[in-house]
Amino acid sequence: MAPGNPLKIATQGCNCEEMTEDQKYARLDEILDLYRSEPGSLINCLYVAQTIFGYLSDAVLKHVAEYLDVPAARVAGVASFYSYFTRQPRGKHVIKVCLGTACYVRGGKQIMETLVRDLGIKAGETTPDGEFTLAVVRCVGACALAPVVLADEDTHRRVRAARISDIIAAYRKPSTPVREAV
Amino acid sequence: MSRITSADDLRRIREDLAAEVLSRRVGGDSPWFQILVCGETGCVSSGCLAVQTALKEEIARHAGLADRVRVVQTGCIGSCELGPVAVVYPEGILYTELTPADIPTIVERHVLGGEIVTEKVYADPTTGERIPVIDDIPFFKRQVKFARKWAGIIDPENLDEYIATGGYEALLDAVLDQSPEHVLQQIKDSGLRGRGGGGFPTGVKWELTARAASKDGRKFVVCNADEGDPGAFMDRSQLEGLPHSVLEGMAICGYAVGASHGYIYCRAEYPLAIDRLELAIAQAREAGLLGPDIAGSGFGFDIEVRMGAGAFVCGEETALIASIEGKRGEPMPKPPFPANEGVWGCPTVVNNVETYGNVPRILSEGATAYARLGTDTSKGTKIFALAGAVKNVGLVEVPMGITLGDIIYDIGGGILDDKEFKAAQIGGPSGGCLPRHLLNVKVDYESLKEVGAMMGSGGLIVMNEDTCMVDLAKYFMEFIQEESCGKCPPCRIGTRRMLQILERITSGRGRDGDIEELIALGEDIRRTSVCGLGQTAPNPVLSTIANFREEYEEHIHLKKCRAGVCGDLVYAPCQNACPAGVNVPAFVNLAAEGRYREALEAHLDRNPFPMACGMVCTHSCEDKCRRASMDAPVAVREIKRFMTQMGGHNGAYPMPPVMKRPGDEVKSIGIIGGGPAGLTAAYFLRRLGHSVMVYEMQDELGGMMRYGIPEYRYPKDVLDQEIRNILDMGVGHRLNCRIGRDVTLAELRKKHDGIVVAIGGWRGVSLGIANEDADGVQAGIDFLWLVAHGDLKRLRGKVIVIGGGNTAIDCARTALRLGASDVMVAYRRTIDQMPAEEEEIAELLDEGITIKELTDIDEILVDDRGCVRGIRARMQELGNFDSSGRRRPQPRAGADGEVVFECEHLLTAISQNVDLEFAPELALNRNGTLKIDRYTFQTSDPRIWGSGDVLSLANLPVAIGHGEEVAVSIERTLNPDVIKSFPWRVVKSPDVAYDPDAEPVTYGRVQTEYSSVQDRITNFLLVNRGVNWDEAIRKEARRCLRCDYREACNEESVRS
Repeated sequence: MAPGNPLKIATQGCNCEEMTEDQKYARLDEILDLYRSEPGSLINCLYVAQTIFGYLSDAVLKHVAEYLDVPAARVAGVASFYSYFTRQPRGKHVIKVCLGTACYVRGGKQIMETLVRDLGIKAGETTPDGEFTLAVVRCVGACALAPVVLADEDTHRRVRAARISDIIAAYRKPSTPVREAV
Repeated sequence: MSRITSADDLRRIREDLAAEVLSRRVGGDSPWFQILVCGETGCVSSGCLAVQTALKEEIARHAGLADRVRVVQTGCIGSCELGPVAVVYPEGILYTELTPADIPTIVERHVLGGEIVTEKVYADPTTGERIPVIDDIPFFKRQVKFARKWAGIIDPENLDEYIATGGYEALLDAVLDQSPEHVLQQIKDSGLRGRGGGGFPTGVKWELTARAASKDGRKFVVCNADEGDPGAFMDRSQLEGLPHSVLEGMAICGYAVGASHGYIYCRAEYPLAIDRLELAIAQAREAGLLGPDIAGSGFGFDIEVRMGAGAFVCGEETALIASIEGKRGEPMPKPPFPANEGVWGCPTVVNNVETYGNVPRILSEGATAYARLGTDTSKGTKIFALAGAVKNVGLVEVPMGITLGDIIYDIGGGILDDKEFKAAQIGGPSGGCLPRHLLNVKVDYESLKEVGAMMGSGGLIVMNEDTCMVDLAKYFMEFIQEESCGKCPPCRIGTRRMLQILERITSGRGRDGDIEELIALGEDIRRTSVCGLGQTAPNPVLSTIANFREEYEEHIHLKKCRAGVCGDLVYAPCQNACPAGVNVPAFVNLAAEGRYREALEAHLDRNPFPMACGMVCTHSCEDKCRRASMDAPVAVREIKRFMTQMGGHNGAYPMPPVMKRPGDEVKSIGIIGGGPAGLTAAYFLRRLGHSVMVYEMQDELGGMMRYGIPEYRYPKDVLDQEIRNILDMGVGHRLNCRIGRDVTLAELRKKHDGIVVAIGGWRGVSLGIANEDADGVQAGIDFLWLVAHGDLKRLRGKVIVIGGGNTAIDCARTALRLGASDVMVAYRRTIDQMPAEEEEIAELLDEGITIKELTDIDEILVDDRGCVRGIRARMQELGNFDSSGRRRPQPRAGADGEVVFECEHLLTAISQNVDLEFAPELALNRNGTLKIDRYTFQTSDPRIWGSGDVLSLANLPVAIGHGEEVAVSIERTLNPDVIKSFPWRVVKSPDVAYDPDAEPVTYGRVQTEYSSVQDRITNFLLVNRGVNWDEAIRKEARRCLRCDYREACNEESVRS
C-alpha cells in the first residue's frame, strides 16, 4: 500500500525552513525509504524533495537519483517536464495569476500586466530581494470567481487590476518600503 | 465505523440517517432546522469556513438551540460566485454572500423568529427581485441533477450520509448478487459515454478491457481527474462534494472488468479534492467497502491517489498512464490502446470523474431510466462549468440535447451588464467558439462536432463584445505552446508557427495570406500529431476563423480590433469604438482646460458634424468608457455639444485647410446623395484638394439628418450651419437632381473621375400583407419626410406605429407632437430587444406613448370607405434563437392570442432599404443590396464607391465613418502611392497637463437637462437641452481616466 500524499508526509512534524542541509537530507532519505518499494513513485519523491528544500537543485536531484538507484538523466527529465517542479529558489511569497479561460476573458491579462510592471519581473521570475515569485497558473477551477490570484495559500477572487497593488502590499514585510523591489 | 459485510448492514445505516438526510429538501419533514453551508474551493476562498464557525458559535450561544439546529458542511450547490452560501431547510431558503457578521441576524430572525432575512436571499441579477426559495430560482429550476443529485446536500466527509442516499448499494448489489457480465451489460444498455470529452461508449470500453488478456493477470481502473481544461471545474466539484460516488463507480468498474486496483490521477492544483478523496478512501477501507474482500464477496478492490505535477498533456490517457508510472507524461501512439496495454502494460480502463460519478446511480436507478434522459445518441446529463460574461456562473447539470442558448439565457440568466452575446467557448483548448447564429445548437456529442466544436469535459465560457476573438485564439495557442510536450514536431513547431502569426496579426503586422496559412498549418497539425492534444490544438484558431473571420480581416487590413483588446491597435477604448474614429480623449481633455476651439478642431479632424453627433450620436464611446467601471461613463456627448457651441463661433467652425496639389493629382468626384455619408466623403475629398460635386434629389442638403431625424432631436438651423461650413470649403452641389431622371449614372461616370453612391434608405419595407395601400396607412420614413418638409402639420385620432427601431420611435413621438390623441407602438419582440436607442425609448415612454411588445400585426382592418380602422394583431411568445442571437418571436397559441387595436393612422416602420433602380449596371448581393468591398468600399465598377445606407442601414456615426473611408479609398485608387499617411489618421495625443500618478477625481457624472414632458409634447423644441455651464463641462471632462495616456507622452500611434 502506498504511503499516501507526499506533500503531507514531507511537512508532517517538519519545520523545513529551520533545518540545516544535513537535517534536510536525513529527512529526505527517511521519506524516500517509504516510497522506495512503490513502483512509479519518482514524481512523489520529487514532491517530497521540493517540499523539504524549497526547490530542486542539481545536488538534490543527484541525491534522489543515487538514493533510489535510478539514472540521473531520468530524474532530471521528469523534474524538467512538470511545471510544478522548480529548479530555481522561489521567493518568500509566490503570486500566481490564473490565466485560465474564464479569468482571461474577465481581465486576468490586465492583472498580469500590472504585476509585471509593479514587481518589475516577468512570470517565472523572482524579485531581487527574494520576496516575490510571479507565476502563471492555468485554471485553478475557481472560474466562477474570475479573475483570481493566488498569493501563497490564499485565493483572491474577482481581483481588479487597479486593486492588485493593495494585495501585494499586504504580503510584503512591514519593514520593506513598498517600492523597494520595483 | 463498523465493517459492512452485507446489504443489511448498509440498509441499517441508511434507515438510521435517511430521515435526516432525505428531509433536506423544500418542505422536508424534519424536527430540526438544517443549515447547509457550502464548503468547496469556491466558497472556501470566499470565506465560508469563518461563516461556519460563526454559525456554530452563534447556535451554541443560545441555550437549547443546538438540539434544534444542525449545521452541515456540504459540497457545491453550483452557484459559486454567490458564495459563501447556505441553505436553510425545511423552507429551502438560499442565503448568499454571507459574512460572519450576517450570522447573528440569520439565527435571530430566521431560526428563532421564523422570518426570512430577505436582504440576504438570492437576488435575480436582471430584475433585482428577491427569490428566497432555492427551487424557485431559474438557475436551479431548469437543471436536471443526476450525477450531482446529492451534491450540496450531503456532507462529503461523512460516509454515512452518502450511504443514507443509497450510496454503495449499487456496489454491494453488484458484487454480492450480480455477475460482472451483467453489470457490464447494464452500463452498455444505459448508453453512457465518456464525459471527458471524446464520448467513447463507456460500456464498450469496459468490455474491451474485460476481454483483454493480461500478461500477469493484473488489470487497472484509472480515474482521470487531471481536469486541465482551463475554465472547467466540474470534476473538482464532484470530487470535493461527492467523493464516494467516484470511488463506488470505480469499484463497480473494477468488478465488471476484473481489476483489483484503481488509481485516481488528480491534478495538484486541487488540494481540497485530494484531501477529501484520501479521507473518503480511508473511510471506505475502514468500512470494508474498499479493500481485499468487499462485504465478504471475495472481490477486492483498492484505490490510490496519484498527484499530477502540472502538465496539461497528462489529461491524454497514454500520457496520464506514463505519469502514473512516474515517468515524463509523454503520450504514446495508439494502438495499443490502454484497454489492452495500459498501466504497467496491463489492460486498463481510463474514464474521467464524471463518468464514474454516474455509474452508481445508473445501476441503482436502472439503465432504462437513465437512457430516457438525453437524445438518441447522447444519453443522460452533462455537467458544465458555466463561466465568463454570464449573469449566473457556476456548475450546471443539464439533460443532453438542451440548446446552448437555453443554458446561457435560461440558466445563466443572459449576458452580464446586458451587453451583447458574442461567442461561447466550449470544450476548452480542444474545442471551438460558437457564435450567435448557433445558439440553437443542441448540446450533444454529434451536434457540437458538426459545428466545429466538441463537448469536451464541460467548460463553457461565455463571451461578450469585449472579447477579441483573435486575441482569444492567440491565448489558446500560447497555452498549447506551453503545454505541448514536444515529442512530435507538428504540435511542437506547428503551433509555435501559428502563435507567431497570431502575434503578428494582433500587433498590427498582419498581412495578406495569414489567414490561409493559419488554416493550412492547422489542418496539417490536426492530421499529423501523435496525440489528442496536438490533433485538437488548432481547433480554437480554426473555429474562430470559421465563425469570426471578419475580425481577423479587420486586424489584418484595417489594423482594427473592434473589441478594443489588442493593445497595439487600440489608442483608447472610446476612440476605438467610435465608427468615425474621433479622437475622444483629445477633445475631452482640451475641453477640460476650457480650450474649446482646439477641442472642436480635434473633433473636426475626423468628423465634420460635431453638433449632430453632440445631439443624436449613438455614443459607442460612452458604452466602452472605462470610467463606467468606477461610476458612470464620461458624458462625452454633452462635452462635445458644449465645446461646439463655444468653439464654433456663431456656427463658423475652424475647418481644416484644403490641400494644395499639383493639377494632375486633383480629381473630379461626383457624390450621389447629400446626407451624412455623402457630405462627409465630400468634406474629406475636398480636404485632399479634389473637386467635389454633390448631387441631391431633394430641394435641400442633409438627407436623413434633415428629413429622418425630427427637429426636437436636432434642429434644422444647426444642420444648416454644419452643412454651410462644408460647402464653404469649396464643395459644389446641385439640388433637385435625381439620378436616372435628370442625369444618368453613365453621364456622371463620364464627367467625373470617381463616383460615390451615398443615397439613403428612403424606401420603407412593406409588411407584405393586404390593405397596405389603404387610406391612413403610410411608411414611417415617408411620414417623417412629410413632416420635416413642412407638408404635414397636424394629425388627429389614434396612431399605431409598427416597428422597434429608431424610425418607429421617431414616428411615434412626431405623431404625438402633431396632435394625435393616442399613440401606440406595436413591436413583435420585447422592449429590451428593440434596436432603437434606450434613451429614446425611455423618453417616449415618459411622453405617455405605450409600447405593446410581443405584438405582431396580422391584418390591416379597413372600413367600407377604404380607410384604415385598426389592426388585428397576433400576440407572440419568445422561442428559439435567430441569427441575431435574439429569441425569435412566434405566435402564441390559443384564442387569447388575437387582439384588435383601433386606429385612424397606421405607420409602418419595420425597416428601410435603398432604391437602386438608377444603377442597373452595378452588381447586387443576393439580398438586393449593392455589392461593395468591405475594405475599399468599391462597387463592381472600380470607379464607383458606395457609402452609408447602401452598405447596410447605417446610423449617423457609421455613415460619417464610411464617408472618411471612401475618401481615403478614392485617393489611394486615383493617386496610387502619393499620400503615404493621411494626416487625420495619425492619432495625436493632446498637449494637456496630466499627472499619471494622481488619483482620479471621485465625483459622478454631470446631469443633463431635459425639457419637461408637458413643455415638449405639443411642439418640436429640443428635448435634450444638454449641459450649458462652462464649469460643469470642464469638471465633467476631468473625469476622463486618460486611457490614451502612454508612458512616453506625445507618442503617436499610426493607423494608415
